[in-house]
Amino acid sequence: MINFANVSLIYPTSTKTILEDLSFSIVEGELVLIIGSTGTGKSSLLKLINGLVPHHTGGILAGDITVDGISTKLVRPGDLSHLVGIVGQNPSQGFVTDTVEEELAFGMEAQNLAPDLMRKRVEEILDLMALAHLRNRSISTLSGGEQQRVAIGSALVMHPKILVLDEPTSALDPIAAEEVLSILHRLVHDLSLTVVIAEHRLERVIGFADRIIHISGDGSAKIDTPEVILKDSDIAPPIVHLARALGLSEVGLSVREVRRASEKYRNVGDDLESEIAVTGEITVSANDLTLKYGSHVALKNININVRAGEIVALMGRNGAGKSSLLTTLVGLQNPTSGRSSIGGEFSTELKGKIRRETVGFIPQEPSDLLYGQSVLGECQQADKDNQISKGTTLALLQRIVPSVNEKTHPRDLSEGQRLALALSVVLSAQPQVLILDEPTRGLDYQSKALLCGLLQNFAKELGRSVLIATHDVELVAELADRVIFLSEGEIVADGPTLDILLSSPAFAPQVSKVMSPRRWLTVSDVVAAMEKQQ
Amino acid sequence: MKSLHPLTWWIWSLLIVGAVIASNNAWVAGFAMAVAAISVFKFSENAPWSKSFWFSLKLGAFILVIRTVVGVLIGVPIPGTALFSIPRLPLPNWIAGIRVGGVVTQERLLSSIHEGLIIITVIALFGAAVSLTSPHKLLRITPIVIYEFGVATVIATSALPQLVLSASRIRRARALRGDEKPSWRSIAIPLLEDSLSRSLELAAAMDARGYGISRKRSRYRPIPWQQIDSAVVATALAAITFVLVLKR
Repeated sequence: MINFANVSLIYPTSTKTILEDLSFSIVEGELVLIIGSTGTGKSSLLKLINGLVPHHTGGILAGDITVDGISTKLVRPGDLSHLVGIVGQNPSQGFVTDTVEEELAFGMEAQNLAPDLMRKRVEEILDLMALAHLRNRSISTLSGGEQQRVAIGSALVMHPKILVLDEPTSALDPIAAEEVLSILHRLVHDLSLTVVIAEHRLERVIGFADRIIHISGDGSAKIDTPEVILKDSDIAPPIVHLARALGLSEVGLSVREVRRASEKYRNVGDDLESEIAVTGEITVSANDLTLKYGSHVALKNININVRAGEIVALMGRNGAGKSSLLTTLVGLQNPTSGRSSIGGEFSTELKGKIRRETVGFIPQEPSDLLYGQSVLGECQQADKDNQISKGTTLALLQRIVPSVNEKTHPRDLSEGQRLALALSVVLSAQPQVLILDEPTRGLDYQSKALLCGLLQNFAKELGRSVLIATHDVELVAELADRVIFLSEGEIVADGPTLDILLSSPAFAPQVSKVMSPRRWLTVSDVVAAMEKQQ
Repeated sequence: MKSLHPLTWWIWSLLIVGAVIASNNAWVAGFAMAVAAISVFKFSENAPWSKSFWFSLKLGAFILVIRTVVGVLIGVPIPGTALFSIPRLPLPNWIAGIRVGGVVTQERLLSSIHEGLIIITVIALFGAAVSLTSPHKLLRITPIVIYEFGVATVIATSALPQLVLSASRIRRARALRGDEKPSWRSIAIPLLEDSLSRSLELAAAMDARGYGISRKRSRYRPIPWQQIDSAVVATALAAITFVLVLKR
């Protein structure tokens, strides 16, 4: 179905080869997963499939790519639109209409399909993607996860033979991610749809993949079955790390397999105790916070406290009000009623230097925070703003990501690098409280570990507070002291991480699923328990 | 009011622009701007592009100032009441027709402001049309024949709304970083860059979805031309006729 023959790709402004002499073929009805660190060219590889690279981005392409027998060199991306559906990393930037229904219909209108047929297909997709109740909503008012479903739906509605997805689950909560993936799985099996996915959160997709393409970053790539690739890959889900740590002979890909192989470990060792609550002074507090958009209630009587030295995770379904709560807490939005304060100041009254030194906020799109012309310019601006000695911010950035080129435009950085830049800019003001909205979107395991270390250090060594809204249960398991669970704008649970994560299987990390009913969350918990035993 | 035809406000604006230019009268221009402001205030939906009108007013004011200063400084003197005099820049003989500096007359100043006002009105009316029409809807009814300029059309119709979106995005980022009153200079380049790159991304997305591949396009939900659309256009027609009749 998809054929790459000796494909090499290089961008004119870059000295690095993105892909070098890559040859593989994907047959009909296969689900192929592309893995690799951030910035290694996964997105470029995906866009090669329908010709967006190099038709829209420029770049020199050698070798030949055919899709269902058509060479992508000879046709425009649009000529392949009935064949290849593509969902970008950032669906909000790819929407071409205003409402959900219009967006679903757009591609079919362009193909000049009959109105009856379009009606029928739109209804089908609305049901399939559980979007029926949102059909007339304006797309810009949807939550990130809902937008992701619309984007996938508008690709599927064309009945393509190939579906290409760039991090389809990164904006979704665990349950919604599971749903989307099982829909894809069903389409692969029932209709023999060919699916190519790039994804960082392997724990979510690994069970569905037939083969893996591992891009190493120097242009070379390995293609094989998941079992073979994951045997010695540095990119691996927690479950594989667990198997390696316990010295299991076989690498299992599903909870079921590893559970069978690790039975004897579940009978030894001590359970993790719930951590004692942090008792620092209160840095963030919300009293009876209510927020309404028109008649829609986004937040309902929210009361929360975050203390110094504490890392709190905010979880909940897509559209539960996590982002609304964060933007209200930092004072970007005025609550309908109630008040919130950070560091003793009312959020809405924070201004200028005091704001910078009180709260650092990283929005869902870290690039929203950046407006400089280069990495260096951005860092210098931060130095100037905070009246600190020149080069401090850049030094901080280079400690987080050593490889970053200071002349690069922030737009051309990889997701991880961009987050690191935004973080360095925010941290250079040394705020009392750090608030992050979905920070691990688009991050590989390595960058995620780096982020964890940084935040741990910030909260525990410096005694400051961190509040994170996230869907990433593995991150929460590693990092958080406390979890607050939101649903429909209300707090439904608030307690120690261990208790909250273990109380429902949907939000349990992989390791605890394997080790259940023992109370362990991460690989290091298990390893520590085993070592104590010996 | 929600479902006006996307072309309605564009036709209306174009006709009013015609009326303003034909009349060449500051009062007509001011009146047209006021009507446009009221229409935007009353009819625009709460969408990202609705702020385009205010943005176009700001842009217009900026142009008026520049236009007036340049008009007063450079050009052929208009005789009349002298207001004040600025030193005249000596120029070589071979550009005798042009004068920099010298006596500023009331007539000269007024004519500069007058011309500037007409320009502002044209920009503001364009801004009003953008504010009142979803750029996406406009694109949906654009005849496929002009796909030859496909990408250009996409960028042209989405550039102003994108500019406005980017402006508020950048201002928000500045506020988050504790910079409430950023200077225009520090915003201008990132602003243009950001809005252009987003317009390009939109064009790429439309291309990937097969826009312009088929010469014919079907409609999922046709957008009908209603009586209310005719009524809006009729008011503008009346205005331009009125101006033309008065002129004669």
